[in-house]
Amino acid sequence: MEGLLTTVSVDGSESIENPFLPYTEDVFNEVLDEVTLGLCFEIHRSCKIGTFFLDEVDEDSQKDYEIVHQEGLDVFGNPPQKKQLECVCPNCDRNLAASRFAPHLEKCLGMGRNSSRIASRRIANKVESDNEDDESTDLSYNPDRRNTKKKREKLSNNSPRLKSKFSKNSRNGHNNEMSSGIDAAGVIAYKGSNSYRLETMTLEERKQLLMSTCGVISEHTKKMCTKSLRCPQHTDEQRRGVRKQLLTPDSDARTRFEGGTGEGDEVQVDIDSYEDGDGQALRDTLSRLQYEAAPTGSTNPSPADSTSTTHSNDGGGSKKRKKSSKLTQRKKTKSKTPLHIQIPSQQGYDALD
Amino acid sequence: MAELSDRKHHDAKMRATIHQKMVETGEKERLKELLRAKLIECGWRDQLKAYCKEVVRTKGLEHVTVDDLVAEITPKGRELVPDEVKKELLQRIRAFLADQATI
Repeated sequence: MEGLLTTVSVDGSESIENPFLPYTEDVFNEVLDEVTLGLCFEIHRSCKIGTFFLDEVDEDSQKDYEIVHQEGLDVFGNPPQKKQLECVCPNCDRNLAASRFAPHLEKCLGMGRNSSRIASRRIANKVESDNEDDESTDLSYNPDRRNTKKKREKLSNNSPRLKSKFSKNSRNGHNNEMSSGIDAAGVIAYKGSNSYRLETMTLEERKQLLMSTCGVISEHTKKMCTKSLRCPQHTDEQRRGVRKQLLTPDSDARTRFEGGTGEGDEVQVDIDSYEDGDGQALRDTLSRLQYEAAPTGSTNPSPADSTSTTHSNDGGGSKKRKKSSKLTQRKKTKSKTPLHIQIPSQQGYDALD
Repeated sequence: MAELSDRKHHDAKMRATIHQKMVETGEKERLKELLRAKLIECGWRDQLKAYCKEVVRTKGLEHVTVDDLVAEITPKGRELVPDEVKKELLQRIRAFLADQATI
């Protein structure tokens, strides 16, 4: 490694010691060319993708988008306005106002407190569309509807009055089926009953119903009143009329009073005590009516019918609910077989007017 | 004229050697970066780009090719380089070459 003295001159004059020196400028040019080439590539690319002349504007267009300095307007020249914040529901792809988004999403996804309530209510309401009365949970007397078990249960759940009545009954009766049926659906006492349509209920069920509720069928709504037997809205006359109407004897009814066996189970009710003093006379009438009433048309709601027929059953009887433990066998009808009621004594028929 | 061809031959050989050395040591990259930075600083790049716009407008945006551009731009580029930048770069190159000669 000899100490070489190289002449450092701008023009790159030759020095023997350093053979490379003359090529300095060439080297520089080479490097410069490469940089230039890089720039060329960039420009060419921007030409081809259309961004080359992007920054050029003309005066007229420029004026359109100038910043607005006016008082009371924003920089775009718009007056202050609350923009409606919109959003799109990811489920149903609808445009919604932002303030309504959360509740809508709840319903849309089917989650949240309200939507399950609404859904179950909708299911219950599916068969009968507008059945909710504001005052009471009435039964509809519409023959076309069927199978509203859920509604039935719901009804009973909501009306403690009915529930307690029937649960009392069930406890006394020690009847499994009874209890299960009643607790769930006070109005529909029997487990076997699938409907709370008066038409499709068995006689037994109807009886049960009529024993506990007023039962008068409203003319305009065709619904049965589910208030107590002493409800102030209806008279006893009406009640009698309804009972006469509803408890028409079927073919099964004939066998009932004699205690003969029906198709299915036979229920014998030994009634030694009265449940309460209320409406007892009425109940007598009811029991009488139920068996011997002439078969009416399937659905003829004549709510204010105060025709009191003096039907007297063979045995005459009261369909009393067993309250005491003195109850003898009471078998639950699983099918829609009629209730056989054995009445030990015949009650006198009292006019209830 | 054999001398000329010899010299040319010799030149080419020398250049190749230098080039190789530069690449090997990474000096080429360093020089390039340095030059690029300096040229942007002094505004050489923008000047040249403006010139490019003219060329492209003349030629038509659709028909411009890389080769065209290169052919037009390179001589112009060389012209536009400011002296200070050139001086600095040359100095650096010389220093590098000096090192190379001693190795």
